[in-house]
Amino acid sequence: MFAVLAMIVGIVLGVIFEPTVPVALQPYLPIAVVAALDAVFGGIRATLDGIFDDKQFVISFVSNVLVAALIVYLGDQLGVGGQLSTGVVVVLGVRIFGNVAAIRRHLFRA
Amino acid sequence: MNRRAWIERGDALLRRVGLRAGPDPAARPAPATNVARPAPGAEPLGSPTPPELSVDFLIELFRNPLDAGYSDAAAGRARSGPPGRSARRTGFTLRTITLIATGALLAIAYQQTVAAQPEAAKTRHSLAQDVQQRQAETDAQQKQAEQLRQQAASLRDAIVGPNSTALDQIEARAGVGAVTGDGVTVTLASGPAPTDPVTGKAQGTDQGHIVDFDLQVISNELWRDGAEAIAINGQRLIATSTIRAAGNAILVDLAPLSEPYTIQAIGPSSMADALRKSSVGGFYNYLATSYGVKFAVQSTNGLRLAGAADPGLRYATPATPSQSASPKPAPTGPRPHASGSIAPTSPPSQPAHASPPPGGP
Repeated sequence: MFAVLAMIVGIVLGVIFEPTVPVALQPYLPIAVVAALDAVFGGIRATLDGIFDDKQFVISFVSNVLVAALIVYLGDQLGVGGQLSTGVVVVLGVRIFGNVAAIRRHLFRA
Repeated sequence: MNRRAWIERGDALLRRVGLRAGPDPAARPAPATNVARPAPGAEPLGSPTPPELSVDFLIELFRNPLDAGYSDAAAGRARSGPPGRSARRTGFTLRTITLIATGALLAIAYQQTVAAQPEAAKTRHSLAQDVQQRQAETDAQQKQAEQLRQQAASLRDAIVGPNSTALDQIEARAGVGAVTGDGVTVTLASGPAPTDPVTGKAQGTDQGHIVDFDLQVISNELWRDGAEAIAINGQRLIATSTIRAAGNAILVDLAPLSEPYTIQAIGPSSMADALRKSSVGGFYNYLATSYGVKFAVQSTNGLRLAGAADPGLRYATPATPSQSASPKPAPTGPRPHASGSIAPTSPPSQPAHASPPPGGP
């Protein structure tokens, strides 16, 4: 499947090139990862539901990452960075688990 | 609205969120475009709620974790037909780029996490491993040195012949040769450090901690009680031995010791009692009862104390018989007194009076 191959290619590229992240962006990297995972699991579930859409997938990925990083950045400026970060991770985690549960139902029942 | 309508709206809401079973009689027929095709094993959880009965955010979050955009896009596709080839190709490209970006993001985040491990912890861990490795090497080399020393001694005995016993005796006395005999074993261990009962952290001064002074005092008492050979945790005490503290560790010569400290001494059978009854023994018994220090004195038979490494003499040279007579008084010049003060230049027979004799009680 091209999707899995593409992700593996991305991982390999990341390992080979080892890009240095600018210091200003380093605190937002973990939240970006969680947001990206939410988009990916949403895409997988949509595929299994039969309603996958490329545009929607790309938009959800970009907007998740940007919005999550923006919320945490705003929180840092306002002094509630840690709590907002926790909130974002909780919400994204709930979505990930919900989508994973649906994927599991598809895979082990269908 | 009348009461019945409110009840029906409440029932419809509860049915939609799955808290009440059964089909919803008053609901509109679900539009066919909401779900493109029923997915296998799909439950009401997958379908979005109609706009006029919105539920609060958390229920929505838990029930519908999937973006509504997917079902909307599917509805659009159902309306306008499958996408054309160029649209599919751009879609494929975008999807692939996004997945590559996700993979790269994962790899970068992992690398950053690994790199962010505190440098201090890594350095300390590698230093600790270094120390342990060197310690093991030192122990192995010490064992080898002991073996070689024994080999050298036996070879020397073979060469020297009848005088070898005299040499062995001198070595045993000096502490360089191994000795066996009956004696006493003293075991010393620190008591528990006083802790705050509420927080569990250390509190106050640790009076029950064994320091180098304790080992010095007990060794001194053993010498006084007639010991002829003393070893602490296997380290034999010789004429140039030191018992000192470096940081938190006690070192004998250059070997660090760890608790519990075992002092073995070969000497007369009265040593154990003498130590127990001495002021030193009384002091450590008091520490044992008050601070939980472990202090045990036991007569032991058949002790074998290994010899220490011969440090060699670099500054002291063995004196020839003519030089070994009692020191003659120097003809001129000051002669240092036992007290360390400079003596006047009068003949040594006159006592020096530096101060008037003390008067009064």
